[in-house]
Amino acid sequence: MSINDKITKLNTATQWFYSDDFNLDEAETKYKEAFNLAKEIEKDLDELKNHIEIINKDFTK
Amino acid sequence: MDLTPRFSVSEFLEVVNQTLNYAFPTVEIEGEVSSIKTSKNKWVFFDLKDEESTVNCFTTVFQLRTPPEEGMKIVVRGTPHLTKAGRFSITIQKIMPVGEGSIKKAFEMLKEKLSKEGLFNPAKKRPIPDNLQTIGIISSTTAAGYADFCRILNNRWGGLTLKVANCGVQGLSASDEICKALDYFNEEGAVDIIAIVRGGGSKDDLAVFNDESLARKIASSRIPIITGIGHEIDESLADLAADIRASTPTNAAEMLTRDKVAEIANIHDNLSHVAQFIVHYTDTLKSTNISAITSISGIIEARIENAKNELRNQQKLLLSLNPEHVLKQGYAILSGNLSPGSKITITTHDKLIEAKVENVHKR
Repeated sequence: MSINDKITKLNTATQWFYSDDFNLDEAETKYKEAFNLAKEIEKDLDELKNHIEIINKDFTK
Repeated sequence: MDLTPRFSVSEFLEVVNQTLNYAFPTVEIEGEVSSIKTSKNKWVFFDLKDEESTVNCFTTVFQLRTPPEEGMKIVVRGTPHLTKAGRFSITIQKIMPVGEGSIKKAFEMLKEKLSKEGLFNPAKKRPIPDNLQTIGIISSTTAAGYADFCRILNNRWGGLTLKVANCGVQGLSASDEICKALDYFNEEGAVDIIAIVRGGGSKDDLAVFNDESLARKIASSRIPIITGIGHEIDESLADLAADIRASTPTNAAEMLTRDKVAEIANIHDNLSHVAQFIVHYTDTLKSTNISAITSISGIIEARIENAKNELRNQQKLLLSLNPEHVLKQGYAILSGNLSPGSKITITTHDKLIEAKVENVHKR
């Protein structure tokens, strides 16, 4: 899953708490899931690097 | 023996041209434009002069990327040769204005022309695509602006593929190189957006971005283009033709990416709000429960009080009906046979009296 997908998933997960579906029985589990996903995203963001590719073409010609 | 060569006129001109071509295949000459003439709306002739000398120049209308004007200072790139009429001339491949005044004048003229053609129409501008994966970069890989752009991109976000077309970003040939790089990206189609970046420089350095062909190429690009050229105050035709203009290479990088530090802070904030929400929710539930319990207690207490009052009233009633209570009020209970001569017992509050009935009358 891409970082953007994970962020979207996290946003959906946090929205649940403010929705009509919210209930205290599930809240703890849902919060733990969101917390772990947040940690995962933070780790991904720290580790992800951009890939630089110099095009092998002479534009002077 | 005399070794002095002898030529026909045509041969001589040909030899001189060959010599010139060998010595100066292309030259750049800086000077002031004078005596511009256009022939058949196709050929352009003008003189390039300085304080002492003049040289004839020739080009075609189609090659004019910057319109020369009388008195304008320009640098030309071209090939020197002698015409068949024996006139020395420079066949021009490229013209670029130099000096702030000339650059500004050429810029304003081209801006007006291209604006009338709708090249800068805001309605044609496209936004930065969502979910960028690949960015095409047109810049010089040795330029400070390119380094700034990549550094900010790397600091802010990861996972992007940056395809770099290494081009000159100043000088007479730079605009052609940039146009070729734009063609390359548009033909390959493998990038989501193209960023043309170059750091700050003098007006002469940045004049390359006022090239007409480059502005047209940018405006017609199939792929959205963002420019980050020079500083905030440096506005070029390339900027005007682009979909998005960033004020600097750094600003372009900021516009293209989210900031991962801000994103992480935002995630923490969201989770913190959720935690606060849960605490508030449970507090509210507790408070509701306490209120309910308090309310129920009140109702129960009121009912008990009512029952007690009821009981007290019953007690009072019972008390009022107690014969002993009646006796205490001075009444007496008379028991026995109520016929004359019979003995009866009279019970009072504190006495039992034996008595005899003497007479019995109806009331």
